[in-house]
Amino acid sequence: MDIVIPSISFSAIMPELVLLAVGILILLLDVFSEKHSGKLAYIAVGGVATALFFAMTPITDPSTTFAGLYSADRFTQFFKVIFLIGTGLTLLISEKYAKENNINHGEYYSLILFATVGMMFMAGGADLITIFMGVELMSICLYILAGYTRARMASNEASMKYFLLGAFASGFLLYGMGLIYGITGQTKLVKIAGAISANSDNMMVLVIGAGLMIVGFAFKLAAVPFHQWTPDVYQGAPIPVTAFMSSGPKAAALAAILRVLVEAMNFIQVDWIMWVSVLAIMTMTVGNIAALVQSDIKRMLAFSSISHAGYALVGVSAATSDGVSAVMFYMLVYTFMNIAAFGILALVAKANEQNTSIDAFKGLFRTNPVLAAVMTIMLFSLAGIPPMGGFMAKFYIFMSAVNAGHLGLVLVAVINSAIGAYYYIKVIVAIYFQENPEKPEPVKAGPSLVFALLVSVIAVFVLGLMPDCYLTIAGKALLPF
Amino acid sequence: MLNQYLPIIVMIVAAAGTAIGMIVATTLIGPKKSFPDKDEPFECGVSPVHNPKSRFSISFYVIAMLFIIFDIEAVFLFPWAVIFQKLGMFGFIEMLLFIFVLAVGLVYVWRKGALEWE
Amino acid sequence: MDITLIPGYQYMPELVEMMLKIVFIFTMNVGVFAPLLGYVERKQSALMQDRIGANRAAILGFTIFGLWHTMTDAIKLIAKEDFIPEGADKPLHFLAPFVAVVPALIAFAVIPFGGTYYLWGHEAHLIIADLDVGILFIFAVAGIGTYGAVIAAWASNNNWSLLGGVRTAAQMVSYEVAMGLTIVGVLMVYESLKLTEIALIQEDFFMWGIFLQPVGFLLFLACALAENKRVPFDIPEAESELIAGYFTEYSGLKFAMFWMAEFVEIVTISAILTVLFFGAWHIPFVTHDGLLSLLTSVVGADIGNLLLMFIHLAVFWGKVCFLIVFLMLIRWSLPRFRYDQIMKLGWKIILPLALVNILATGVILLVVK
Repeated sequence: MDIVIPSISFSAIMPELVLLAVGILILLLDVFSEKHSGKLAYIAVGGVATALFFAMTPITDPSTTFAGLYSADRFTQFFKVIFLIGTGLTLLISEKYAKENNINHGEYYSLILFATVGMMFMAGGADLITIFMGVELMSICLYILAGYTRARMASNEASMKYFLLGAFASGFLLYGMGLIYGITGQTKLVKIAGAISANSDNMMVLVIGAGLMIVGFAFKLAAVPFHQWTPDVYQGAPIPVTAFMSSGPKAAALAAILRVLVEAMNFIQVDWIMWVSVLAIMTMTVGNIAALVQSDIKRMLAFSSISHAGYALVGVSAATSDGVSAVMFYMLVYTFMNIAAFGILALVAKANEQNTSIDAFKGLFRTNPVLAAVMTIMLFSLAGIPPMGGFMAKFYIFMSAVNAGHLGLVLVAVINSAIGAYYYIKVIVAIYFQENPEKPEPVKAGPSLVFALLVSVIAVFVLGLMPDCYLTIAGKALLPF
Repeated sequence: MLNQYLPIIVMIVAAAGTAIGMIVATTLIGPKKSFPDKDEPFECGVSPVHNPKSRFSISFYVIAMLFIIFDIEAVFLFPWAVIFQKLGMFGFIEMLLFIFVLAVGLVYVWRKGALEWE
Repeated sequence: MDITLIPGYQYMPELVEMMLKIVFIFTMNVGVFAPLLGYVERKQSALMQDRIGANRAAILGFTIFGLWHTMTDAIKLIAKEDFIPEGADKPLHFLAPFVAVVPALIAFAVIPFGGTYYLWGHEAHLIIADLDVGILFIFAVAGIGTYGAVIAAWASNNNWSLLGGVRTAAQMVSYEVAMGLTIVGVLMVYESLKLTEIALIQEDFFMWGIFLQPVGFLLFLACALAENKRVPFDIPEAESELIAGYFTEYSGLKFAMFWMAEFVEIVTISAILTVLFFGAWHIPFVTHDGLLSLLTSVVGADIGNLLLMFIHLAVFWGKVCFLIVFLMLIRWSLPRFRYDQIMKLGWKIILPLALVNILATGVILLVVK
């Protein structure tokens, strides 16, 4: 018996390796010496920067490696960049929060890094097994992170709910994968597609399998009606973790959905376009309407993140190369504006998240004018007002859907954008036109938060004013259509 | 050739038969004299003062979790060990990395005090 | 009637061989070793502690070194009342000894106690089931034994039982990990999970496991002792603190079943040690073929094979008995470890050493090649 060692390209997973190494290093530093505890966040950021460097090294010829388990293509790379930006910003806004809330442990940073590795494997997985491993690595880290501020009851509740429902969703995902494997006898996405086109018996089981997989991913994406956990978990989790959970994992779930649907399930496109459209409509509508009535900013941002997942799904249901690149661009912009908004919330809410309600923002313009301006930019961008990145992102999504002929879907999405603008502007009104009776002291942002906000503001404007080049990069990163 | 698991099934049946036989024998033979004081669970001669079905130290749960992690490591090592000499240097380095990651886990729980019993 | 008309008649010799082997192993374990080890333990401790020991039971004045005690013990256990305490979980109380004893009895199925012999046209293999995953089977089956202790502890509604059961579970799983990692070095050297293959390689005296894996042997021995829950690792049933640990509330034959499981485990452990580290049934410097040709030249092929089989059986069981006496020697020599010491030994000493042993074995094998 000869043992053939498959071709292994470590350069393809270099970002993952860097993050794992840094995560392990942080764990060890934390247990071996007390005096480094102040620097852990910066070490983690350094690791993310290094990984970002490797992730941006262009790939000339897309290929699969590790015996076809992992695809090293630009699609993977683009999403890796999104995840790394999300992680980097999260770490930056975590730094002050972690110290104030007494959660400045090595585990906190390691778990964030490990979760990022999980997301990368979700985006890069060319095999159902790899994707599932990625989902689990990401989810398990997030379950812990959601409950990281142990002293707060809400955080414990968040962790428990997320864990129980997340385990349930993993079950759906696995059942779906199991059915597909049972029908096709393959776990590699490309070979599944081949098996489906070669033999189209048992279409019913295949459709059910694909449906179950979409349910599993929709849970991670917090798409309605699989969003029930989202408000409580996002509200209970520590704010930086909420920021992290509402950006990276969503992008990862979208990446996995795109990869599975486009690479393996192209043959039953008609079915999944319909499902994704329905999901998109429900997600946008429920997210926006529920966000309208929230008086707590954290909860409002939670619902807003649900609605943004809905917009992204519109791009998925376009099922064209334009749609995919629009989704990727959308997630890039969304990562910046969402995490920045949460970062400001973490600062304004003060230590131990004393006040996350809209009252905390009243009169922010008087006390912290610059911060107020940044928050305004982020909220405008989230609402989709030009010239911010959020507008261009939505624009491309809607365009791709129109070109694919989903006019009704786009109509619903446009109406939703209008509804969404209301609750974002409600916060802006509080910032500029309402007095805070308590006359609070100005809040002071640490250097890392300032840096994170600066990067986000620049990015939101650059992406809004010059979207072409990024869209082109996203376009080049496309999956084979 | 007989199925290689057939003897195991016969063996299980024989062992189960022996065990059931012993349990049946001990319930049939022997005196049956019971009265309330005798029926109490043994607690050094006094009536039980503490319900045994209560919570016990969390350390045991931690040990159980560590068991799962490291036993799975061992399971991964078995097939590797059997073909180790065929894999050569490449297989050795790969497994070195795998063991390193788990060794870091061991160091971590060790330093965190999960293996301490007071 | 023509025997060839019976369906499956061609399997008859194999079936007969299988039944003979199973009966043989059961007789050895249940009939010989289980009662005898109780006696050996008493007699050996008496010798070591300068006492006279079990010597009272006699028939017509003959005590035969107190061997009657094995019989009186058995009669006493059978005649005892089966006691179930108030508040106990009855079904589980019955299930526990069953779960404890069955795995102990079947683990021997994959251990070879002799080689292959050609007797009057029939090929006899002295192993009940020559599984490809031999060692894994033993681990799997031994793992089930933990349930016996835990179920017994939970079913008894007794504080001492529960403490013993919880300690047992933690100790057994801890040492199961260490044991699994310890065995990896052996597998790397012999390149097989099949115990017959491992045994065959050890026909060469210098390929014995004890020479190739000395560290592995010591670690495995420690783990095996701990898995067996005997002194110095007998904290789960520490008499002076926990009465009898998880089987405090057991009496009669149900109590005997736990003891039987423990004694059969000692035999199994000794047999595994023999196969992995002490050349199984092989005599040092004497090859199977060499001895066989010598015997064949004297008494003919069939009788020669038969003789060789008996010689090998004697060698194998001799080694096993030697190891059993050695294990008992340890049992009566060492004091009991404290619980924290046991866990420390398992996780902080044996586990890292086992990992180092794997690495060292790997490096040496690579260098030698």
